[in-house]
Amino acid sequence: MSDRLNRLAEKLRGGPDGSRPARLIPVGGGKGGVGKSFIVANLAASLARMGYRVVAVDGDLEGANLHTCVGVVRPRVSLADFVAKREEDLGKLILDTPIPNLRLIAATDGNLAVPQPNPSRRVRLMRELRELDADFVFFDLGAGTHAAVMDYFMIGDEGVIVIAPEPTSVENAYGFVRAAFYRRLRLAMASHDMRKIVTLAMDQRNERGIRTPLELLREIQALDPDEGMRFVETMRAFRPRLIINDVRTADDIKLGFSIQSVCRKFFGIEAEYLGYVNHDESARHSVRARRPLIDVYPRSDAAIYISRIARKLLADGAPGEYREDSI
Amino acid sequence: MKPLSEQNHYEILETQPTATREEIERAYRMALSTYSDDSLAGYSVFAEGDAAALRERIEMAYRVLSDGRIRSEYDATLEVDPQESLPPAEPSAPLIPVGSAFGDSPLPLPADEFTHLDDDAGDFDGERLRHFRIRGGMEIEDIARVTKINPTYLRFIEEERFADLPNSVYVRGFVTAYANCVGLEGKGVAASYMRRFDKREKEFRKGRFFESR
Repeated sequence: MSDRLNRLAEKLRGGPDGSRPARLIPVGGGKGGVGKSFIVANLAASLARMGYRVVAVDGDLEGANLHTCVGVVRPRVSLADFVAKREEDLGKLILDTPIPNLRLIAATDGNLAVPQPNPSRRVRLMRELRELDADFVFFDLGAGTHAAVMDYFMIGDEGVIVIAPEPTSVENAYGFVRAAFYRRLRLAMASHDMRKIVTLAMDQRNERGIRTPLELLREIQALDPDEGMRFVETMRAFRPRLIINDVRTADDIKLGFSIQSVCRKFFGIEAEYLGYVNHDESARHSVRARRPLIDVYPRSDAAIYISRIARKLLADGAPGEYREDSI
Repeated sequence: MKPLSEQNHYEILETQPTATREEIERAYRMALSTYSDDSLAGYSVFAEGDAAALRERIEMAYRVLSDGRIRSEYDATLEVDPQESLPPAEPSAPLIPVGSAFGDSPLPLPADEFTHLDDDAGDFDGERLRHFRIRGGMEIEDIARVTKINPTYLRFIEEERFADLPNSVYVRGFVTAYANCVGLEGKGVAASYMRRFDKREKEFRKGRFFESR
């Protein structure tokens, strides 16, 4: 226990130079093409413009394009070098972008034969991400709910899910929430038997007929009250954050609240609706121009909505927030 | 985290027992659209009959809560255990933001994180802050290094030497940073601390006012 406290105190004290650890924000969504990289590039650029030091990391080793969104043409090094063990120090893979304070770790030139890091390499990657010297680290996850993607998403409780207001994206988002939650839950369970039940519930057509986390909770509470407590704790700590992208109507905006409600009523999970970004032609132009929207059209509607989300992230407590107030 | 069958009318509509008539109306409309058969947010989650069953509960809740007299009768039957009747983490306010309303609203306080950290509830005064700092194994200087706040001010905050502290805008910032640094939820702690600060400041001013007369 005292060990844990010491480590915590160490972390709070920050590094030897008084720096605090970066806030690590994984961004996923299940479906491809919903604008994850666009959102990451612009949230990162938005915070960079406010003076925070931001590193945007492309985690999509099989479909890298974050570099294009932030205006880096041909990355000379990338995360693939870390995966292939050509480079051990993640910090050395950081590239400058045209935007001050915003740096990038690209994911280009992956090994087509072995694109994903193996589990032990993943653990190392996550540790290295934590140690990057920055105020914010955004981690742009690939599509799907592959084990690697879910591991990255669980790197903190701050995970963001990007959703487009269309059935395919919403379906995948729920799949993503479920996968993330069950994976986390399986880790939280102390006994082997309960872990087995969680694994069983992860099969959507399981023989016990467990459909939702809430139903699984009833089952586990009945079998083992202590594990039930751990379940509830895990449930409470798990707070995925939602961004609805490419919003066109008031109904699209409400979608975020509806998903929040369904998560609460059917899964027992509290999701936080972080905000929405409206449909904006200038967004497309910015992607064509291969620059963040925030940079090329800072006064566009979408840019303004994104900045709001960035400020909301800040309100949750930014590293070094009161720097300028120091006397 | 209660199953639907055990939720009261307020929980079904995802609103608070203190909700106004307008808030009930809004919550009702929101719930209806979320649990309509072709709801984009729901169709892939609902099993056969789920949405219809829920709509029935929603209609029932609305019938009760939209009528002042029936509502007060119903309120009287609710168990007077606020912890139980409130949704777990955050006060859910399904307000519908149009245009600028979103993002500028203050963030709700994560009451959960707040209470489980310390058993004795109450204000966050200087003593309590000090307690958390020591529990985290930190010296004033450690906090000063991280927050870049003058250690003297940090000490004044703990000792509640309000008169020696600068303007309240700064103090709020300091307390937020301090609280974050010791692992507390900064905004909420600062709000609590500032209530004490402001009260004392008001008394101080009032005293001076009478003196000058």
